[in-house]
Amino acid sequence: MEALVEAKNLAKHYKDVIALNGVSFGIFDGITGVLGENGAGKSTAIKIFLGLLEPTSGSAIVLGEDASKSISVRSKLGYMPEHDCLPSAVSAAEFLTHMAEVSGLPPARARTRAADTLRHAGLFEERYRAIGGYSTGMKQRVKLAQALVHDPKMVFLDEPTAGLDPAGREEMLDLVRKTHREFGISILFSSHLMADVERTCDRIIVLQGGELVQSGEVSDFTGETESVFIEVDANQEQLVAELQRRGVVVTSDGRGLNIQGDDKSVYDHVRDSLVASGAPLRRMAPNRRALAELFTSSDEGNGPGAAQ
Amino acid sequence: MSGSTSETRAVSGHAEGRVFDIGYERYDGPREGRHRARMAVFKDGVRIALGLGRGPRAKVLPWGFIALLVGIGFIMALVVGAVLRLGGPDAAAGLPNHSDFYGISSIFFFVFAAVVAPELLCPDRRDGVINLYLVRPLNGSDYIVARWLAFLSVSLCVAWLPQFVLMIGLVMGNPDPAGYLQTHWLDIPRILTAGAAIAAYTTTLAMLVAGFTNRRAYAAVFLVGLFVITTPFTTALASEIGGAAGQWISMFNLTNIPVHVNDLIFGEVSGVTSGAPAREFPAWVLVGWYFAWVVVPGLVLWTRYRRLTP
Repeated sequence: MEALVEAKNLAKHYKDVIALNGVSFGIFDGITGVLGENGAGKSTAIKIFLGLLEPTSGSAIVLGEDASKSISVRSKLGYMPEHDCLPSAVSAAEFLTHMAEVSGLPPARARTRAADTLRHAGLFEERYRAIGGYSTGMKQRVKLAQALVHDPKMVFLDEPTAGLDPAGREEMLDLVRKTHREFGISILFSSHLMADVERTCDRIIVLQGGELVQSGEVSDFTGETESVFIEVDANQEQLVAELQRRGVVVTSDGRGLNIQGDDKSVYDHVRDSLVASGAPLRRMAPNRRALAELFTSSDEGNGPGAAQ
Repeated sequence: MSGSTSETRAVSGHAEGRVFDIGYERYDGPREGRHRARMAVFKDGVRIALGLGRGPRAKVLPWGFIALLVGIGFIMALVVGAVLRLGGPDAAAGLPNHSDFYGISSIFFFVFAAVVAPELLCPDRRDGVINLYLVRPLNGSDYIVARWLAFLSVSLCVAWLPQFVLMIGLVMGNPDPAGYLQTHWLDIPRILTAGAAIAAYTTTLAMLVAGFTNRRAYAAVFLVGLFVITTPFTTALASEIGGAAGQWISMFNLTNIPVHVNDLIFGEVSGVTSGAPAREFPAWVLVGWYFAWVVVPGLVLWTRYRRLTP
């Protein structure tokens, strides 16, 4: 599969501060999450991809063109900034029409696109109201809509759920998923919220201090691990003793027991131990890793997609 | 039903129905790139300057000043017309005409620029909209040139319109309109050139100040102060010091800089510059000084926006 965005030894230095330190990765069709704390280099990478910053060294190839040399490639890109970027005095319809024209669309087509995009973002009924009177959630939707109004091939979303309540956040994530699933627009989703990335993205890139820490499919990170999690209502000590007597490695995390095992025989041991200990079983399930464990894994240098 | 317009036609007997999916569609129409982007920023700038597509409050100031300037031209035409009819050409000879208009109205023109020009730049930076412009197929230079041209276009209309109202009034008020037009036809290119000179000057200075603050009010107050305060200050200082130094101090009277050029274009000294020591300078110095005040601030403004990144 051909990369839509390709960073090759990409570095950006601001005097003594190293924002990006020679990172290399590719961004493919789908929804790619860029995870990292503040100062990790996420926004710098996006600005380089958009051609707004010149890299100190290395290259950023976006849709087959050198981002720092080609302005025209931006007509195929969309960008939703993290911070406020909306005028308060004009209506969403007028603003989106203008932004579509600034992206190169003829005026008549721009008006049609603005209406269609606002309908997609769920703002069609409110489109003639001044943006200044919108709620935070509605403003986030306008920000997303302006990034999509010219029908880009790829959209960069910088913290799209920032400032939203849980319901608004869920709606925004749905909208992001729908944008890719139904319309085939590839998305780069920058966030520091692992739950958002885990639920929305196909692939992730983890940056830390300007370095690439990990990259790969989300399923590689969050897939089932080779362990079984069980919870019992009583006799936990007896159960642990029975399992250990059968040579099974057991650890407790306070909520229940994690039982290590790489084959189906572990379930037989669990069954026999439960019977022998008389422990009433409440729950048993294969263990899934949370994306939050990524950072722990990366610290230990043994994550599933540890960067080379 | 996604991705493209779907149409389902159901025919039952003679009844016919259509269902349209009016949701988001992929766009496969023309993309006109950087040229369209510049045009859009220019068009938006003109609309902002005139308050079009905005609420009534956004229209009050620009249209109020336009009405005031046109009103000055109209009153001048009325007065000249009335004196011509009542007192004859000799009585009207000393009355203000085209060459005096910019001298009389320049302060209102400057205040118009001070109040309206910041609207084109300050909100884009304060609200962060500039970030959205710069990620589209245009750069900071395209943006600022398009905005500058937008305000220059509005300023040109505001500068020319009252002069043409005055001209129509003078032609209509003259007992021999055709003869007046034949005698004074050269006033038309003079009006166009002098109007362009004052419009380019005020546009550039007002946009420069607006380019360095996010607050419209700060820019407007600073500009009004600059234009209003420099006049009495430099006039008083120039007359106090006198000589060559006084002449140069008089050159810093910012409201007079384009009026000196206006005087050269019309070949007459207008009322506001008649007492200014700077008018004694040769024409090339006055014109060069004018261009310095247009080109240097223009370059500073361009440099500022050329380097701007979100």
